[in-house]
Amino acid sequence: MGKPKFYDLNVHSKPDGESTIEELTALAKHFGYSGLAITNHSNTGVPSMASRTEDFEIFSGIEIMATSPSKLHGLIGKYRKNVDVLIVHGGNENINRAAVESPNVDVLSHPQMGRNSGLNHILAKSASENNVAIEFNLDAIIKGRGGRRAQTLSNFRTNLNIARKYDVQVLLTSNASSYFDLRAPREMIALAGLFGMDKDEAVSALSLTAEGIIERKRSKLGFIREGVEVIREDVLKDVGDGL
Amino acid sequence: MKILPPTMRQRKRYLAFELISKERISRDELIRELFSSMGSLLGDVGSSECGLRLLTFEDSKGIIQCAHTRTEQTRASIATITDISGRKVVINVFGISGTVATATDKYLKGVKVFNLEEQSHIN
Repeated sequence: MGKPKFYDLNVHSKPDGESTIEELTALAKHFGYSGLAITNHSNTGVPSMASRTEDFEIFSGIEIMATSPSKLHGLIGKYRKNVDVLIVHGGNENINRAAVESPNVDVLSHPQMGRNSGLNHILAKSASENNVAIEFNLDAIIKGRGGRRAQTLSNFRTNLNIARKYDVQVLLTSNASSYFDLRAPREMIALAGLFGMDKDEAVSALSLTAEGIIERKRSKLGFIREGVEVIREDVLKDVGDGL
Repeated sequence: MKILPPTMRQRKRYLAFELISKERISRDELIRELFSSMGSLLGDVGSSECGLRLLTFEDSKGIIQCAHTRTEQTRASIATITDISGRKVVINVFGISGTVATATDKYLKGVKVFNLEEQSHIN
């Protein structure tokens, strides 16, 4: 195994954030990332396009903001086909539950609700079954100060314990809204150490978990329904032309 | 006072870093922010254990000294710096060495600090 490739899968660009995709990409490249997912909030416009260069990939993503589980399911249906990374903006009991119960969701972002970590054994089991990763948005540690940050750290510690016990995937992200909010992978790992994540876990949360999410979407491209999937597109096209 | 024999001295690590910002930041401002962010994250006890010192800071890059067992905490507290006197900054650690000389040679010599304006015309 060579050097791990690092990805930051929750980054907000203009108009949701303050920086352009070019600015974010330039700094992320400099920091040694192999890719970013631009995951603007669903109420700020259409998801950005994915693009790929030799040494850097930009994934299209969305962070869905929903007020109720039924609206959430509607939005998941609307965006799932078009994006690589589908994140649900958590922090509400019903939304958290609906998110971890949906196999179409990749990541549940900041599930914590004030003093409550937002995750329990039941949600964790669902998240594990449905392959929904739990996000640790490090911006809360970077930008917070005092009591609020102490609360965030203990919430993260609780969630990490639950995730370990039920084998839930964990993801480290910057949740950046400006390129000044990005941090290099090694800094992200050091920050994750503050709430008890060891180095190997943190490395895989930045690389393997992120790669898994992207790969899953890629393999789903040919997915039609359980047991039926497109293996060779050209055959399908020929048949289509013949009809 | 006579200095301690080498075996009794505390072991150190040296972090080579760059400071990315649109504006110039002075050494004094950086020192103040380093200690304030570390104090806020780790408290007075934690800060004293880290033994942070800013050794050099020139042209937006420099070297920070810390205790050899506290490199991760030092990195984390550096990462929590978001702005210095209202100007947005981000500090990137190039690498860590056991001596000032290697830190300088390996990470700082000939390295240009990231500058967004210079980047954009390349892209």
